[in-house]
Amino acid sequence: MPDGATRATASGDSAELALGFLAEMSPDLRGAAILDGDGGVLAATADPERWEEDVAALFDVGDRAGEEQVEQIHIGTEQGEVFALRHAGLAAVAVTERFALASLTFFDLRMLLRDLAAGGDGRGRERDRDEADAS
Amino acid sequence: MPPKPHRVLLDRVSGYADEAAAYMRRRRAFRRPFARLYYGGGRAEDHAGDTELGGELFVAAGRLIELAGKRPKP
Repeated sequence: MPDGATRATASGDSAELALGFLAEMSPDLRGAAILDGDGGVLAATADPERWEEDVAALFDVGDRAGEEQVEQIHIGTEQGEVFALRHAGLAAVAVTERFALASLTFFDLRMLLRDLAAGGDGRGRERDRDEADAS
Repeated sequence: MPPKPHRVLLDRVSGYADEAAAYMRRRRAFRRPFARLYYGGGRAEDHAGDTELGGELFVAAGRLIELAGKRPKP
């Protein structure tokens, strides 16, 4: 489901930490999930099975829209906004309040997936700074 | 008599705040539902809700929004 070119592995624990960090950073966030290369949920804010199904359905529709695989999806409705991103062999989906800042939300999701794919816990530079402060 | 310097600053700040508030009001009033897909290389495509594919995207998004529920209270 996420891009097939690169396959990343990330542990469920790291993904849980990353999701917690995302919720901390994004006051508009209502719910989110992080998925692995096969579309399995690594972490979700609620019912992981439903996240798996619904995210798969979203990417399926997105992929049918064009000849190439969709990289990002942004849908704004009266009830809220959905951001979905494939990056580094993983996928992240976030549901926010209306009028969330799209570029910032996608940036946060991208950084989170990049760090998870590199073996981190999604906190990236924040973690490096904490570790530097601690030492 | 010229206005006091802090008055000038306050007027300017409140002027900017009024402009920003008006911009947000206009944005809320005019922004319609949309579905936008992005591909590698920065290419983007919009899909209207009255097309078959656009409708499916809105249905899929609606399910996720329902699943996420309301924003948790701090």
